[in-house]
Amino acid sequence: MNRRRFLRGAAGAGLALGAGLPSLGRQLAASAAGPNISRVEARYYVKFPDREIECRLCPRLCRLGDKERGYCGVRENDGGIYYTLVYGKVCSLNIDPIEKKPFFHVLPGTSALSLATAGCNVNCKFCQNWEISQVRPEQVEAFDLAPEAAAARADGSGCPSIAYTYTEPTVFYEYMYDTAVRAKRRGLRNVVVTAGHINPEPLADLLAVVDAVKVDLKGFTAAFYAEYVRGDLKPVLETIRAVAKSKTWLEIVVLIIPTLNDRMDLIRDMCRWIRNEAGDRVPVHFSRFQPMYLIKNLPPTPVSTLEAARRIALEEGLRYVYVGNVPGHEGENTYCPGCGQTVIARAGYTVQAVRLKKGKCATCGTPIPGIWV
Amino acid sequence: MAKARVVVIRSANAWSPAGDPDPAVVTRMFARGLALLGDGVDGRSTAVSLFRPDDRVGIKVNTIGGRAISTRPEVALSLAGWLAGNGLLEKNLFVWDRTTRELRDAGYAPAAGRSGVRVFGTDADGVGYGTDLIAHLGVGSLFSKIQTEFATASISLAILKDHGLAGVTAGMKNYFGAIHNPNKYHDAHCDPFVAEVFDAPPVKSRHRLTILDALVVQFHKGPSYHARWAEKFGGFVFSLDPVAADAVGWALIERLRAAAGLPTLKDEGRAPAYLATAEKMGLGRADPASIDTVEETVA
Repeated sequence: MNRRRFLRGAAGAGLALGAGLPSLGRQLAASAAGPNISRVEARYYVKFPDREIECRLCPRLCRLGDKERGYCGVRENDGGIYYTLVYGKVCSLNIDPIEKKPFFHVLPGTSALSLATAGCNVNCKFCQNWEISQVRPEQVEAFDLAPEAAAARADGSGCPSIAYTYTEPTVFYEYMYDTAVRAKRRGLRNVVVTAGHINPEPLADLLAVVDAVKVDLKGFTAAFYAEYVRGDLKPVLETIRAVAKSKTWLEIVVLIIPTLNDRMDLIRDMCRWIRNEAGDRVPVHFSRFQPMYLIKNLPPTPVSTLEAARRIALEEGLRYVYVGNVPGHEGENTYCPGCGQTVIARAGYTVQAVRLKKGKCATCGTPIPGIWV
Repeated sequence: MAKARVVVIRSANAWSPAGDPDPAVVTRMFARGLALLGDGVDGRSTAVSLFRPDDRVGIKVNTIGGRAISTRPEVALSLAGWLAGNGLLEKNLFVWDRTTRELRDAGYAPAAGRSGVRVFGTDADGVGYGTDLIAHLGVGSLFSKIQTEFATASISLAILKDHGLAGVTAGMKNYFGAIHNPNKYHDAHCDPFVAEVFDAPPVKSRHRLTILDALVVQFHKGPSYHARWAEKFGGFVFSLDPVAADAVGWALIERLRAAAGLPTLKDEGRAPAYLATAEKMGLGRADPASIDTVEETVA
């Protein structure tokens, strides 16, 4: 960049360079106020001498000195007290079809008030929402939405559920939990979209107040998790086991990325593990990858790969297996394992028909598990 | 191959009676340190060899530790003043860090006026991070526009501290403050991330000089301040080799730890492995045998 262009750009941006703008002092003061940060004491941490703390929310167990933040970037040690900086600081709020999460066995055809704050406790190289998940709260626009206000917003919008989604709800745990409690009092459902990188104790507490959890199982080897997720596989599997054992509904999404996690022998191992540890009733979605974030050099997943994965899952005994991110594909529908009829027909995020009667196939009466309207 | 040169300048008079760094003494220390990096006589000639007259020089400080353990304004502004008197234009000098709040907390008066040395954070209006994600080796980050657009040359004027995760935080790790997501790169003792962030084009192409502020060295329980383990060392470490500067900084921390009866960082399982990685990547010398360290005292 030459100097003229630099000066023009800087002046336009508001920063004085040599002959810049006189109002910058006020602008600096305004920006220093940190409007996107709240400060509510975090749960699940222990204190150590010398103002150190250890976060016990997720398996990273960040041990932090004074003024340091955890890996998530949204929890900070200040003077030996650990704070969440994103309580009630919503950076994304939408009314989405619940199929977009995706939940295929939860209130089909309804909308979920979907919200997120900044931050994430993993760093997937293929993240679709990295502009809000891989940033600190100061770096995104956010607005205040107290738990009660969020519940009221869902209620008033005709949404029977609130979805904690887009980024990683684990990192805004306190806000999610308090909102879920208030939503529950209003008779609303709470659904969580997570990478499953959470410790058993906070997970158990969360499961008491939420109705459904969708876990992204991003691969099936520790090496994949280390390199492409920057996390561990083992705690994710523990989370799946714990949700499956609980009364909370579980669905699993597997994003298949060409050449990185598309080995069919590993997909078979994964399907067997899911069947054995979580049961054959758990819906599994094989989703199509699109080039994103730090992986832009790979093509979208061939539909044939997703179909092959689905075939393997069905061969391994899983009953509800879906193809995701391929609108119009027959693998979007829910088929009755008893008679083979379509019980929920979908096209993209649209539910075209529901042929269920009190949670059973309208044709043959086979129970279809899920949370139905 | 010639050894890397590192200069350590100390002064018993670095503090004023009030306990703050004495700008006059600090300026003499900078002048001498830069001189010894060059011909041994004239710091100006070193500066002229490092910077073009029209360079816009970003002086990246580290202010996360508040007033107790940050690059103090008396230090950064003395360096800027010396550079302004030795070939650079004052209006082309920026002292900067991640946020204006942190700069304020460390004692700076943020300023971005029409003249004089400017002091501001990446979060100042009109600054921010670049919009293009820069993916380099294992790192994917947005870089501060101060580093990528405002500055044509860069000095890492870093505080020297023990660091619970990295082992040592010094000149290279200071550039974590130039990216939007440093929290993502503290795994595995920040190895290889410190080296990879430094190697990324916005940093590597602009970095000219490392100066470690070792007036007060936090040699244990860093990076936050703990008076019990903070030593008034009264020195600065200078090098054109970013790895060698940090390696000498590490050695200094080990010296202070040994004197206090503390185990080595290696014994604590947190040696700054990123230095050896940086050496392997060709960023500089980490092996003490390949570093020529010169120590001098200034009155």
